[in-house]
Amino acid sequence: MRSMAHIGAALTAIFMLSPLVILVIFCFSESPLLAFPIEGWSLRWFDKAFSDPQFTNAFRNSMIVTGAVGVTSTLTGTLAALALAKLPPRLATATAAALSLPVMVPPLLLGVALLTFYSTWIGLPLGLPAVILSHLVFTQPLVMLMISARMASFDHAAVEAARDLGASPIQSFFHVTLPMIGPSITGGTLIAMALSLDDFLVTFFTIGGGMTLPTLMWGMLRKGIDPSVNVVAVTIMGLSIAATLIGFRLTRYRG
Amino acid sequence: MAPLVELVGVGKGYGSATAVHPLSLRIGEGEFVSILGPSGCGKTTLLRMIGGFVTPDEGSILIDGRDVTRKPPEKRATNMVFQGYGLFPHMTVAQNVAYGLRIARVARTERARRVAEALDLIRLADLGDRAVSALSGGQRQRVALARALVMRPRVLLLDEPLSALDLKLRLAMQEEFRRIHAQVGGTFIFVTHDQAEAMSLASRICVMEAGRIVQDGTPEDIYRRPASRFVAGFIGEANLFEGVGSDERVRLSCGTVIPGAGAEGPIVCVVRPEAVTLAADPAALPDQCDARLFATVEDVVFLGPEVRTTLRTDSGAQALALSRTAGPLRPGDRVTMGWATADQQVIAA
Ligand SMILES: Nc1ncnc2c1ncn2[C@@H]1O[C@H](COP(=O)(O)OP(=O)(O)OP(=O)(O)O)[C@@H](O)[C@H]1O
Ligand SMILES: [Mg+2]
Repeated sequence: MRSMAHIGAALTAIFMLSPLVILVIFCFSESPLLAFPIEGWSLRWFDKAFSDPQFTNAFRNSMIVTGAVGVTSTLTGTLAALALAKLPPRLATATAAALSLPVMVPPLLLGVALLTFYSTWIGLPLGLPAVILSHLVFTQPLVMLMISARMASFDHAAVEAARDLGASPIQSFFHVTLPMIGPSITGGTLIAMALSLDDFLVTFFTIGGGMTLPTLMWGMLRKGIDPSVNVVAVTIMGLSIAATLIGFRLTRYRG
Repeated sequence: MAPLVELVGVGKGYGSATAVHPLSLRIGEGEFVSILGPSGCGKTTLLRMIGGFVTPDEGSILIDGRDVTRKPPEKRATNMVFQGYGLFPHMTVAQNVAYGLRIARVARTERARRVAEALDLIRLADLGDRAVSALSGGQRQRVALARALVMRPRVLLLDEPLSALDLKLRLAMQEEFRRIHAQVGGTFIFVTHDQAEAMSLASRICVMEAGRIVQDGTPEDIYRRPASRFVAGFIGEANLFEGVGSDERVRLSCGTVIPGAGAEGPIVCVVRPEAVTLAADPAALPDQCDARLFATVEDVVFLGPEVRTTLRTDSGAQALALSRTAGPLRPGDRVTMGWATADQQVIAA
């Protein structure tokens, strides 16, 4: 029985990972056909993708969006979490739940809702600022939740001790609170960035004419699959895995 | 002389519940005061008001003659040792201890000297470079103490600093506290719910019950002359005999009448177990035992330095006697409990 379970688990893992592995393999294949056997290896698809002005443009847009989302959601998410920690427990729970509603809405609905909101209600032109704003809607609650989780086990006596020893509220924040919740903040930021980087649906509805890496890929796929699509996919994958791994690593609070 | 810490009608409530009823308290320079009371009686709230972490609803707090009621903790000449210690987890032991001096911009060499001195005082001189997460409970406790002491506070506030430690460590730390208080001087206000701890440490005890200070005195005072039934039962062990007082006499509920001045109407007669002498034959009791009561022996336990005899009086009340020797008493024996009325305390019930 035990070994059956192990084999089952192994097969599931292989099934789940193999598309990713194949994706990576085909990036390095000589042939434009996505088919086995692979006859030769080359980096020409990387060359092709990276020298395509559409790619560089989409890459730049992705970096702008992800960077802006990372910085902004960190600031607002952290402030929200700090404010929550000061509320009475029941009010805090209710507020946190209300603020995290956008995370629970399916992205498709969120995309449509934001599109309508921007174009018919507030007249915000579609484009990168609209994308950034939209990404904040679902990344900021995430950052807030991660930091709130840390605040729940936070030793408030340490902050009080700092004040007791002469620190002003601002000094105690920078000397004690920030170092103690810092890893969670960095972790939250990186995970928010990973989510922003590979978001397709919400971006698709709110970007208007431009492109980010995921929407570029979608456009390429409609014209037919060639390995440079894989290169774009692998670029996104690499960046988000890196961000997520660093994020998870930093949020494991040691102390 | 003006007191160092003075509370004038200070009270605090949370919503409709009152944590501390308006109370006044004066504490002098160099005193070691213990605030003693059961869980939830408002000790922490009182201490945190002195430290500046809780703003009183009414009244004012003066430290060294200056009104600090609205001053934040960093502007007060007090330092606190927190119940959960509140150490800075991202700093070493020495950095924790140095923090207050760093904020006060004490020069580096002076700072290092005072940190070393404080670590020496708490006997952790070798652990300065340790991460606080790598310390034992007792060591953390000492670091929290050093971190406050290094500031040379006029008033040191301690909120149940020993409650997380095991009994042996607690006794050892009590000794340390006495030594440190003698060595550094200053005023210590020590909150605890452990009466033995309060008795062994403080030269003055304020007993709190439900947000009020119900008695304030030396440990001996409070032990010998408890002001209420609550205090008598909370501090040490006590026999509490109910009765009615009139004309310098007390009729206990078992019917016995004993001499006892103090109160008219329903009373409680408090007798400490070590003041009680037991004898099978009333004639064998020493002459100074002018109060006498019949009882039945329930249990006799030999504890080494003393013998604990539990008894039941004829009115059904439990009683306790502590004596040096066991005598020939066995469970079921009828005995006379005798004590000197000078050792009893009659309190209006
Ligand atoms: N922040 C708060 N909000 C609401 N009620 C509180 C708050 N802090 C304390 N209380 C209430 O005030 C009363 C006194 O609390 P306090 O912490 O001063 O008691 P304590 O004597 O220190 O008890 P313990 O020995 O358990 O520490 C308690 O009934 C408590 O529930
Ligand atoms: Mg308390």
